This record gives sequence, structure tokens and C-alpha cells, in this order.
Amino acid sequence: MTALLRRRQMLAAAAVAAAAKVLPAHAQGVDIARATSFIQATGQELVAAINANGASVAQRRERVAQILRRAVDVDGVGRFILGRWWRNATPEQQQEYLQLFEQVLIRNLSARFGEYQGVRFALGRTQARTEDDALVNTVVERPNTPPFGLDWRVAEVNGQPKVVDVIAEGTSLRLTTRSEYSSVISRNGGNVASLLQAMRQQIQQLAAREGG
Amino acid sequence: MTATRRRQRSPLLVLSLALAVATAGCATRPDPSDAEAVAEFQANNDPLEPLNRGMYFVNDGLDVLILRPAAEAYRIFLPPEVRTAIRNMLGNLRSPVILVNDVLQGETQRAGTTVGRFLLNTTLGVGGIFDVAKDFGLLGHTEDFGQTLAVWGMPEGPYLFVPVLGPSNPRDLAGAGVDAASNPLTWISGGEFFDAASNTRIVVQGLDTREGLIEPLDAVRRESLDPYATLRSAYRQRRAAEIRNSAPESPAARGTGFGAGTGMEGPRR
Repeated sequence: MTALLRRRQMLAAAAVAAAAKVLPAHAQGVDIARATSFIQATGQELVAAINANGASVAQRRERVAQILRRAVDVDGVGRFILGRWWRNATPEQQQEYLQLFEQVLIRNLSARFGEYQGVRFALGRTQARTEDDALVNTVVERPNTPPFGLDWRVAEVNGQPKVVDVIAEGTSLRLTTRSEYSSVISRNGGNVASLLQAMRQQIQQLAAREGG
Repeated sequence: MTATRRRQRSPLLVLSLALAVATAGCATRPDPSDAEAVAEFQANNDPLEPLNRGMYFVNDGLDVLILRPAAEAYRIFLPPEVRTAIRNMLGNLRSPVILVNDVLQGETQRAGTTVGRFLLNTTLGVGGIFDVAKDFGLLGHTEDFGQTLAVWGMPEGPYLFVPVLGPSNPRDLAGAGVDAASNPLTWISGGEFFDAASNTRIVVQGLDTREGLIEPLDAVRRESLDPYATLRSAYRQRRAAEIRNSAPESPAARGTGFGAGTGMEGPRR
């Protein structure tokens, strides 16, 4: 898994060219049909959880969070996003970062998806293979909203298909967040602790908004 | 009309320039021996970052005080059907510009779609109020001269954040100027009625755009630890997707189609 991520980092951004040398890249291909059926199943689960009748907002959100925790390669995505700063962090910081990242990611995503009442989704036109992952295109429809394209990047992680990126209308969550986090660290003199502090604060605010 | 617009914007421009001078300076270059830091600096392509952050700060103030409340009012006072009709009309009025850029990019099929949509929506769609072309399978898309320049191979140039307009770059700003000049509506004048109508169109276009961005921008403000950096990245990625024509139906086709945007589309409520 680590090697796979290292490899993708290298391909995705020249920024980590140096890091890629650390580990030999042996990409493990993901079967496109397997990736597609994985996204179809996960998508149906999510839609069912979001549209569940009789469930409170908090219940729906919790159900969505459960599905996401299972389907998303949270640690891999977290490491990708921290990018070049991962090696600057102490092991303790790395560990705390991954814990904070999981909370931020799951809370933000489930709050976002939780608003999608009445959502429907269908597999889109293109299911593409890249060198070491698959891009599964879906079209999301909500009442009174034009349909929009949502791409899921799926990779094989420890023998299981996992979501490693979500791309809404061409905007990758992974790349956008990497830019965000790197900017926070750079503007604080390359100090990873400043990012952790900001994330802790953010989680407090998110928790307060969710009502605990 | 152009003169009127320039006059309206001038206080803003003065303010922006004053701030530009105050915060002037270029982004600190990274240590040249740190290859990753250099690569990131180049990927961000934001040598004017301090200036841009100043502009972002100005924009944030304007947005909180004026733009977002105006968009909220627009949403509250007009029912969704009316707002959809307005959005359709604005999209239809932009058809000539979209067509010119379809042709300049050699996209004959998309050019045909644009012509078909314009004819159907202007007639059956009662002057563009209803998007009937969609029911005939002709989905809307947008194009602008910034995208055409990109297709022709022009680089985007350094990132720029322009108050009110949002994220942009020299290529897309120049493109927006060419689009305005190539829009027949820009040249229709003669009398107060046309001037008023054309100013109204510009204001409504702004309201429509900002209204569509209420949720996405709220989400960025709420979720991002550095909204400036998030928008910069999102804008770039979104423009790249628009240039590739990869979206099934570009949301911008329903709004201003102006190159400067946030890279996100809001729900219609």
C-alpha cells in the first residue's frame, strides 16, 4: 500500500520526485470491473443511508460516516495529502495527524453527503484505467439540481478495493486538500505542529456545530 | 456602457491598488536546494501571493458585507422557477460568445449544438426562458476565450485573485475582455433603454453567479484551514477540466460563463 501510494505521488506531482526514490514502486493493478462494482455497491449503500426514512440527521450522518470509514483508504489519503511534509513530521506527529485527518475527512464528507436528501446516482460514461488505479465516473442527481459528475479513484489496498480520491467536476479532493495543508505549514515556517493545532481547532468547531 | 462600468468600478480599483502598494512584494522563493519546495512553488504558480492574499482579504470583506447578502436577498425574494428562467436567459444570451469560441477551437459538433440550442431556446423556449433544447438532447456547455487561448497552447500566467471576479490569471482575464468585446450585446447601444438593459444584465449575472455559489463558498470558509489556497487549487483544477471539455454539462453554461469562478457549483434550491 505504501509503495503504491508513493508511486502515485510521484506520478501525480513532480513535487515528490525525491520521496519516490525511497521506496521501489511496484504498482499493483486494480481490476476495472471490480472497482466499478465496488463503487456501485458503496454508492448504493450511501444513497440508502442518506435517504433513510425516519432517521434523524445525526443517525444518517453516523451511518454515512461508517460506510466512508470502510470504503476510503483514510491513512493512504492522509499520507498523500501531507505529501512532502510527512518526512518532516516526528512519528508522534504522524500518528496524531492521521487520527485528526480521519476525523476531519469523515466529518466533512458525511456532513456534505448528509445534505444530499433525495439523491440518486448512476454509473457514468467513462470508467478508465490508469497505471495503478481506476477512475470510476458517476453522475449524481438531486431534486431541483443539475446533475453533476463525481469521479471515484479506486486502488487496491491490502487486497481490497478502496477509494483513494473523490473528484467533483474535475476538482480532486486530494489535490485541493494537499494545497491547503501545505500552505498552512509553509506559512508557519514549515512547522507541522501548526497544522495539527489548526486541525484540532477545526474538529472542535465541527463537533460544536454537529451538537456534540 | 463600457464607460459606465469603468466608472462604477473605479473606487474599487483605487482601493485595490492602494492595498496592492501597501502589501506589495513577491512571494518568498523557496530554498533552491529543496527540490520539493521548488516544485511546489512552481506548481502553485503564485509569485504574487502576498498581493493576491491582500486582494482576497479585500474581496472577503466586500463579500461578507455586500455580495453574499445581495445573493441571499436574490434567493429569498425570487422563487426558484424565476431564478432558473433568469439563468436560462443569461445562458442563451451568451450563445454567440460560446459559438465563436466553439468555432475557434475547431469543435464543430459543439458549435452545432450551440446553434441548435440558441434557435430552439429562443423560439420554443420563449426568448431563452425555458431550456427546451435539453429535452431534444442538446445539453448546454460553455466556452470562453480564456479556454480558447489554452487550447491554442497559451500558458495561463501567474495566478491572480481579482476582487469581485475571484480567482483568475492573465490568460483568463484577457479572454474575458475578448469575450465581452465579441458579444454583440456589448455593442448594442442607442438610448437609455439599451444601456439600462445591459447594465441590468451585468448585475443580474453577478447575482446569479454568487447565488449559485452560496453553499460551495460557505463550505470552503467552514471547512478549509486556508480558503485562499483551497480556492487557488480548485480554480486551477476546474479550469483544466473545462478546457478539456470533460464535464457532461458544464454548470457555467447555466450562469455567467465568465472564466473567473471558484471551481465549484452550488445546489439550486
